[in-house]
Amino acid sequence: MSDLRLTTPPAPEERRRVLRDALGSIVVGWHPLAENVLGADARIDWVGRDGQGRCVIVMVGRGGDDLALVARGLAQRDWVAARIPDWIQLAPHAGMRPDAEVRVVLLAPHFQPAALAAARAVGPGTLRLGLLRFVENGVGVGALIEALSPTGQAESPAREGGGFRSGLSPADLDLTAEERAEFDVPDPE
Amino acid sequence: MPRDLDDVLHFFLPIAEESEPRTHGPSGATAETRPVALPILSVPVASRDVVRAAFSWNLTVELARLGARATLVVPHDPSASALWPPPGRGPLGARMVPAAVGDVAALTRVALDIAIAEADGCDEGGVVVVCTPPAWLIGDGATRALLRWLLLLATPDVRDLQEAYALTKLAYQTGSQPLVGLVIHGVRRMRDAELAFARVADAASRHLARTPVSYGLLADDLHVYRAIASQRPIGLEHPQSRAARALRDVARMLWEDARKLLLV
Repeated sequence: MSDLRLTTPPAPEERRRVLRDALGSIVVGWHPLAENVLGADARIDWVGRDGQGRCVIVMVGRGGDDLALVARGLAQRDWVAARIPDWIQLAPHAGMRPDAEVRVVLLAPHFQPAALAAARAVGPGTLRLGLLRFVENGVGVGALIEALSPTGQAESPAREGGGFRSGLSPADLDLTAEERAEFDVPDPE
Repeated sequence: MPRDLDDVLHFFLPIAEESEPRTHGPSGATAETRPVALPILSVPVASRDVVRAAFSWNLTVELARLGARATLVVPHDPSASALWPPPGRGPLGARMVPAAVGDVAALTRVALDIAIAEADGCDEGGVVVVCTPPAWLIGDGATRALLRWLLLLATPDVRDLQEAYALTKLAYQTGSQPLVGLVIHGVRRMRDAELAFARVADAASRHLARTPVSYGLLADDLHVYRAIASQRPIGLEHPQSRAARALRDVARMLWEDARKLLLV
């Protein structure tokens, strides 16, 4: 059996490749969509979604810049949130929900108390921290991610979606229940 | 009581005096046969609706390719400026006009002014495509001119079809003898588009006793999204793609109807 030993972080490209699947350990239903995305003046390592269709962005920091990483994560979250409706239109099959909040996962070798406090203040539903280490396993480099904030906190229920792409609602357009029901019938095929 | 621009349209449209000399255009068209105003095609597009915005501009370019004097008018919205090409003449002579308007009455006036100005000396005919915020089409306001010829873009998604039906109903209730056309997009098979159109047409037939016309389908093609992202017309960026061919087909049907609708 090969020895496992901690190793230094690989180059960014290799790091993203390694993280691609490992992120499933901290994001339930992780589905990667894009890597190395140029966001608000900086790169986002991964953009994906979780099993509930929420957009998740993942950023990796170095030791010592964890507090700055929290700030960058929040800025990128804001940048991404403004673009989600456009992305959904451009990639309607990507499975992202337009009404869901963007979640941020920040990974670093360690987090100082100030960074942890800042993350707590924002809330675990928005921002999650994870310790990231890399291990050499004889075949290659793997990622070990240890979540620092609890998961499973109740999310606010999804907004009842009755609106149209135009921003109008059935009531705005005087659509009666009978007329709406016309479209509830499944296709004949 | 709000006045409909239709009621006062004759004030905006120039009437040739009997004594005016009849001029002949290069194609032999006379002042009598030239349109007084180009037809206005209204496309409901919300301010962040990237796909419908892109299709509207691409259809305008394809109309220009067919020989139409094609202009796209959009309400100027700084937050949505990235959706649109720069103002002025673009590819194949298609023209983009951002209008500094705040309501549907002002948008209608701008559209009518352009329809009249572009018709001047225009032997080949043309179309003024107006991207209308859907919210402006409901309630009181001078909307009939923008509901006379309506192009609806819908995917087979149930909500999109309900919306297409509801806007069809609005046009029939508000407009005078409107022509409502529906294009299905976001499909991979022609059969899906046919079924989607049939659902709207059947519902309209049952509840409104009229049906929209089909302007065909726009293929769900990766080229569409690439062209949208690069803000280049699909017909120029990927002319041989399925998406470009479908756009040309839709534009051709629009152009045929435009020539029937020319005001003379």
